[in-house]
Amino acid sequence: MRNLSLIRFVFVLILLSATEFSIAQTDQTKLQPVTRAFALTNATVVQAPDRTVTNTTVVVRNGLIVSVGKNIDIPLDAQIVRADSLYVYAGFIDGLSQAGVEKPGGNQRGTDTSRFSARSKYNPADPPNAVAGIQPDAEVRQFLNPDLKSVEELRKIGFTASHVVPYGKMLTGSGALVLMGGDSPDAMMLRDDMSLFSQFQGADRLYPATVLGMMAKWRDLYRQAEISKAYETKFSENPSGLERPVYDRVIAAFYPVIDGNKIVYFKTPSVLDAYRAFTLQSDLSFPLVLAGLKQGWDLIDKLKSTNTRVFLSLDLPEDAKTKKNEAAEADSTKTTKNEKEEAPTFMTETEKKALEARQDAFRKKYETQPQMLQEAGIAFGFSTLEADTKDIRKNLQRMVKSGLSEAAALTALTTAPAAIMGVSDMLGTVDAGKIANMVVTTKPYFEEDSSIKYVFVDGKMYEYEVTEKKTDKKETDTSGK
Amino acid sequence: MIKILIFPLLFLWVQTAKAQPETGSMLIKNGTLITITNGVQAQTDLLIENGKIVRIGKGITVPKGIETIDATGLYVMPGIIDAHSHIGLSAINEATSPVTSEVFTGDALDPLDVSIYRALAGGVTISHALHGSANAIGGQSETIKHRWGVIEPDALKMEVAPRTIKFALGENPTRVYGRGYGMVPNTRMGVEAVFRNAFAEAVAYKKNWAAYDAQIKDKKQRKTAVPPAYSLRLQTLVDIMDGKILVHCHSYRADEILMLLGVLRDYGVKKVVFQHVNEGFKVAPELAEFGAMASVFADWWAYKFEVYYSTAYNAAILIRNNVVTSINSDSGELIRHLYHEAAKTQKYGDLTDEEALSLITINPAKQLGIDQYVGSLEEGKDGDIAIFKNHPLSVYAIPRKTIVDGVVRFDIEKDPDDVRLYVDPEEKFDQPVMRVSEEKCMQGADLMEFLQAEK
Amino acid sequence: MKLKFSLLIILFLASLPTLKAQQIQKTRTGTFALTNATIETITNGTVAQGTLVIANGKIAALGTNVTIPDSAEVIDCTGLTLYPGMIDAGTRIGLSEVGSVEETTDYNEVGDVNPQVEALTAVNPNSVLIPVTRVSGVTTALTLPTGGLFPGKAALLNLHGYTPRQMYAGFVGVVLNWPSAAKRGYGDKRSPEAIKKEYEKEKERLNSVWEKALTYAKIDSAYARDAENQPEYYPEMMALSPVVSGKAPLLLEVNMASEILDALTWIKEKNLKKVVLTGVMEGWRVADKIKAAGVSVITGPVLQTPTRDYDRYDKPYANAGLLAQAGIPVAIRTLETENARNLPYHAGFAAAYGMGKEEALKAITIVSAQILGVADALGSLETGKQATLFAATGDPFETSTDIRYVFINGWLIPMDSRQIRLYDEFLEREPGLSNE
Repeated sequence: MRNLSLIRFVFVLILLSATEFSIAQTDQTKLQPVTRAFALTNATVVQAPDRTVTNTTVVVRNGLIVSVGKNIDIPLDAQIVRADSLYVYAGFIDGLSQAGVEKPGGNQRGTDTSRFSARSKYNPADPPNAVAGIQPDAEVRQFLNPDLKSVEELRKIGFTASHVVPYGKMLTGSGALVLMGGDSPDAMMLRDDMSLFSQFQGADRLYPATVLGMMAKWRDLYRQAEISKAYETKFSENPSGLERPVYDRVIAAFYPVIDGNKIVYFKTPSVLDAYRAFTLQSDLSFPLVLAGLKQGWDLIDKLKSTNTRVFLSLDLPEDAKTKKNEAAEADSTKTTKNEKEEAPTFMTETEKKALEARQDAFRKKYETQPQMLQEAGIAFGFSTLEADTKDIRKNLQRMVKSGLSEAAALTALTTAPAAIMGVSDMLGTVDAGKIANMVVTTKPYFEEDSSIKYVFVDGKMYEYEVTEKKTDKKETDTSGK
Repeated sequence: MIKILIFPLLFLWVQTAKAQPETGSMLIKNGTLITITNGVQAQTDLLIENGKIVRIGKGITVPKGIETIDATGLYVMPGIIDAHSHIGLSAINEATSPVTSEVFTGDALDPLDVSIYRALAGGVTISHALHGSANAIGGQSETIKHRWGVIEPDALKMEVAPRTIKFALGENPTRVYGRGYGMVPNTRMGVEAVFRNAFAEAVAYKKNWAAYDAQIKDKKQRKTAVPPAYSLRLQTLVDIMDGKILVHCHSYRADEILMLLGVLRDYGVKKVVFQHVNEGFKVAPELAEFGAMASVFADWWAYKFEVYYSTAYNAAILIRNNVVTSINSDSGELIRHLYHEAAKTQKYGDLTDEEALSLITINPAKQLGIDQYVGSLEEGKDGDIAIFKNHPLSVYAIPRKTIVDGVVRFDIEKDPDDVRLYVDPEEKFDQPVMRVSEEKCMQGADLMEFLQAEK
Repeated sequence: MKLKFSLLIILFLASLPTLKAQQIQKTRTGTFALTNATIETITNGTVAQGTLVIANGKIAALGTNVTIPDSAEVIDCTGLTLYPGMIDAGTRIGLSEVGSVEETTDYNEVGDVNPQVEALTAVNPNSVLIPVTRVSGVTTALTLPTGGLFPGKAALLNLHGYTPRQMYAGFVGVVLNWPSAAKRGYGDKRSPEAIKKEYEKEKERLNSVWEKALTYAKIDSAYARDAENQPEYYPEMMALSPVVSGKAPLLLEVNMASEILDALTWIKEKNLKKVVLTGVMEGWRVADKIKAAGVSVITGPVLQTPTRDYDRYDKPYANAGLLAQAGIPVAIRTLETENARNLPYHAGFAAAYGMGKEEALKAITIVSAQILGVADALGSLETGKQATLFAATGDPFETSTDIRYVFINGWLIPMDSRQIRLYDEFLEREPGLSNE
């Protein structure tokens, strides 16, 4: 065993010296592949949510899907992946996350903004932009790192591209669509400077601290930007005799938004957040996408009438079963015998049941809202932000069980986000010419015992161990299928 | 006459309103109508159509398809109006700057707050969702109708209500900025300085923009015109000076009240309502002379030094000195029984029933600039009604139904145990909050509170 | 004070400026006969057209057939009703003057085990708040220390007297704040787990203090047989010793339903007999359990928002009534300082929301007196009891009712307070508008 790992280590060293890697990696997935050509043979290929072909081969070369078909030539240098019983999907696209984004150090977060230091260091009424969280000029590309755990976590559940944004407060900077993998931060980049990201996250005891200040700050910045942009245009047309406009990078960051060339992605988990984003949008009229939305069921008319696109959060409230089981476990571990006998109840059974019924009804709203949006004809994708990656597949399954069709779910994971982000020509389907982002599963993705075997990102293959689920009690679950 | 005047206005409003609020129609039959402006009318009917009171009289026949509410033996009064409240808000204080005229509580409305329902259960149909009192010049504030059940925050707004803004004097701003941050204001002298500086800056701002606008209109100058820096904060102050915004000023002591009157005079601001104004009784003649109004607590005092020399007879003294006075809650608790708070003026100063009830109806309506729409039972006014068992000034009064725009929003007979509009599926049941009644003005600004929250 | 009456006073004072100094009204005592009154005895029904005689600080006689002593000052109470003074069984009167000014507040000592500190010591008999309170008919108040597990000893006060001793109304009780498993308010960011953990820890602390006190009590009683020696000076344990051994009363402040159940279990375990539950905001949830435990309750404030968002809006109004209906002796308190004068309105709301007028009145008179062990002197109009009473123009729960006379322990209280004086001074201010 020792020898083996030693050999491996030497091998890695040799390889590293031959590549651009600057960071030593012992992770085998980091090894450069022998070839950049793959052929997945004889697979069931879900090319698009409404297009499934069987016994089909997909050929990938240099990061692109080069051909999809039944009797196609397999290149000699291709690594053949026998996919007879496997299912191939387009790689999933995440509408909003911070996967692969480094948290900036220093005083932007954590301990340094405690009451006392905040008081002594800054004027609360006029704090530096960096501490106040007013950084629309920041760019997420400065913070990318493909080796962060968050990238691998998203990738292994099938997400191959994600719209990522910087960490921070109200205005954290511009987001980019990046691949969930790559040899370098730059190699991840698909579409830089794609969005202006904002959220209702106030500064700690500094202006703007609350939603009151944040809304005002937004309007103030935007209107300032409109005025100075108009002046800059005037200046650039004929500068003679005009005062030089003062450049302000924060203000300038709004210019492409004012032009309609950059979309504002607003993180709006709650229904109230969403309405507040709408208020700003209707006051200032900028292009808006709601992202990370958790409570959208009452917004359907509004979304429809404003033709707003949405990325729903993949975070769901714990399902009833899990919750009850946990509670029972906690009870049995904690309480001793005699305590348990006289477990006090301060609530009548009727009241408890009524409250639980309301909780169930609301849980249902969270679960069924993708279906409600789909039925209303609203274009939506998903966002993994704030969702525990361990729960995401389960949550998708819950949505499907609650009535969302598999095709619709798949649309929201692939073609819809590609369309919303304007990258349908590159991503979203398994078609020749598209970027080779794919998910290969052992069974149809939404089946509970389906496992992901391979994920392709930019034509690079990541292999995952398929854990055979113990099926002692052979469940013949046909419901909802 | 009233009808003729009001209806065209309403028509205009409906046309420009973003979301039209839900309205209803109903006949409230045979109640004792406490009209506020036109005496008490026994065994009288009141007809609401499409959210408006269209007829008051005896023996009105039920129009087709209109629901009848039998108010026999019950008291029917205009919906109660609270000129000082912080319910239905996600944030109250932007306590980071002594001047925040650019912020707006209309941006922070929370229609899911159960306090709105509880206020309805106390007959309150309208509240003034004020910014807190941490800042000398706080935020602009929204007048909301308690349309419990709506989810869209804008649907709470009373669109016809004029703009208002919160000012604050005395201990709160000096505690937050002077003691808290070591900056101006630390004294009542500094509070005046904050106002004078802000208004002076606003005057300059107005001048700069006027100059720019003139340059833009002039063909020769247009080319070289440089727009001044835009400031929503200063623009709001300009709007105050231009009389577009009603000032509501948190105040307690007589001296600071006089100080603000002086500042307002100097900057041509004519409309002001003093809030709390515990020592208003000491300067009642000056308030009356200015035309300033007062919105007071029924009996709160001694919770801080600036309210130590208070008297529960404040409202009575102000009324007797011809100051338009209202009784407010500033609390999610008191708002549930403003009728009782108003009744206390009968103990402290012997106000008549009509005077006492005007403190929570027509007077706050005047203070919010909405008295042509609400605050009394009159044909043409909004169908905002509170129906009581027992006289509303009796301690045994029990609100039975509360109606907003002709829609029943609270009905004691259909009052469910759990009224929450949104339920957290993960919430643990055994997690109550032990609230203490307190002056909510300072929420989000209290230093001790921050300390405790951080522990 | 009524408008007309005060106008008269103003006129009188204006015409006789030199007499102003002599106008300071003092309390006085003697023999009084309140005649032609409706007498609401609380314990023995209502007497119409009755007379009540006050002598030597006590109710000497009452009824329709009463001989008026020659020495008596007769006060004609036609149109008035006599009630026993209202007892607010939970306030901070005397311990706090201006809420936010720490220098004027004396209810919260440092440390969490202070059963030996006495509220009575720190009561300021000259508090401006006291006259404001008593002219409203609230004559008696339990004043509470607060903060920590054992904040000190509460004391029952008559709201008249120039020394705390003169004010003392016969009850002292150690206060125990039951550990809280509730969120402290909107600012409380602790997780449910953290709150639970802290709660358990606090309960353990309570039990360990209790054990100590038991040990001390044992040693103490052993020493009692040996007059020569005394146990070590340990004031905390000396104060707790009579409580743990069941000789002295314990006021156990507890509010949340599950905490109440825990507290009831604890009371049973400790075999406590002289214990009163106070607060009890969620008592209605567990009324049957409280009843079964046989303890009394002092609840309030009634004018309070519900503890849970999913509770009906009127639960705090209804709580006292629901407890009373379960057969529990219930007293009502305001937990106010400067506004304990609102006690009748707290009771009035309880009355309106299910308790009924009669029960609600008892809850601020005789039941309070019984719970605090002073029913022999206070809480009803009976011969031999303290002459602590007031005369009102009607139902004291109604704000339109005026209080005309207040007697505390036989002293006729002047109907005067700073709030009334400010009214008199400023109703028609002189000078009015200045001419500059």
